Amino acid sequence: MEAPKPDSAMVERFRAVMLPHLDAAHGFARWLTRDPVRAQDLAQEAMLRALRYFHAFRGEEARPWLLRIVRNTWIDSRAKAGVEQPLEMVEDRPTEAPDPEQNALAGDRRRHVAAALAALPAEMREILVLREIEDLSYKEIAAVLDLPIGTVMSRLARARERLAAALRDRLGRSGHGLPDM
Amino acid sequence: MDCPTCESLVDAYVDGELSATDSADFEHALEACPECRKRLEAARSMSAMLRELPLEPAPDLLHARIDRELRAIAGAAAPRRALPRWTMPVAMAASLLVAACIGWVGGTLTGRGGVGEDEMVSTYLRVASSEHAVDVASSDRHTVKPWFAGRIDYSPPVRDLTSAGFPLEGGRIDVVDGRKVSVLVYRHNQHRVALSLWPAAEPGDTSPRVTSYNGFSLATWRHGGFEMHAASDVAPSEMADFAAALDRDTGEDR
Repeated sequence: MEAPKPDSAMVERFRAVMLPHLDAAHGFARWLTRDPVRAQDLAQEAMLRALRYFHAFRGEEARPWLLRIVRNTWIDSRAKAGVEQPLEMVEDRPTEAPDPEQNALAGDRRRHVAAALAALPAEMREILVLREIEDLSYKEIAAVLDLPIGTVMSRLARARERLAAALRDRLGRSGHGLPDM
Repeated sequence: MDCPTCESLVDAYVDGELSATDSADFEHALEACPECRKRLEAARSMSAMLRELPLEPAPDLLHARIDRELRAIAGAAAPRRALPRWTMPVAMAASLLVAACIGWVGGTLTGRGGVGEDEMVSTYLRVASSEHAVDVASSDRHTVKPWFAGRIDYSPPVRDLTSAGFPLEGGRIDVVDGRKVSVLVYRHNQHRVALSLWPAAEPGDTSPRVTSYNGFSLATWRHGGFEMHAASDVAPSEMADFAAALDRDTGEDR
């Protein structure tokens, strides 16, 4: 598909419609790459790709549209870098061991939650970020991930179970209201 | 509603995906189902924990990088549309202002249209992100130099500076202001130095001007007919060493 070259009017429209969602694009890129420098590169690359595709933007919700491009750009860059694993196979990154004595601190709990989320396989991580951090609806998530809504729901449920289990290991069972399953 | 049904609705309820009627049915069923009430509490608690994670807004540098790309694209884009007559003086005043600002930024802008600090740092950041560090990985200049042929319209001098503590790691092409330029990547301990270079518009050598910018070290100078722009997270003194070593080495075989 040969896209028309963006002219200055299109760039202006792009600025107005898409730039307000740069924070969301960057936040999502942070969770995908788990690396601050690569997240910036990814967000930038995705923004430029979004501009190239912008002629095909039909006034739907801008944020899911952009997040979908962030994700596709990420998948392409991984493929180019020779990472051939499907998302569900992506290795868990080792994270710091939990420290039970520190659990009372809210800041520490946040750190554990962030580490547990970061350690999830990419497929679970991305769906939780889209739902809980980007606050997308099932329908929007389905559009970003290119999945049927039923799969979004089952995948989300599995991701939540896995995260709950990881948090139980990290935070201990008491006082956090996490289900015993 | 039986328990398996109400259990299956917990997530959708917390996620606000149930219709008003389904929500009401679910809430009604909850009264008779302590197990599902517990599940609901757990789901809400996990959601709350994720929502209290700090957001990661785009850093200023990223805003600047994208803004620059967009300006370059808009500027290079297709024929300008005719502007209303009144805009002419405004546009002229604006370009004078921009020219004045560029003049004021001064010394760092040289050669082919000039490169600002942000651009140099962006080049460095693209190098520092390990996946895209180099397109051709070699410490042998006889491998790196020919690689540029056919990719850019000039042949940059390629030097390995291992003896000075800056082994050559490879090269890559970067796009600065819409132009392709050669970038040589050097390693220094755990750090990398990204050296962008292109033919100078003016004759004569200048001595390296080393500056600090947002915690990065930058060096700008002209040597052997090339504009040199180096960016790195090394200390400014090491950046000065790098520039000096490069000048020394390039000078030796001329």
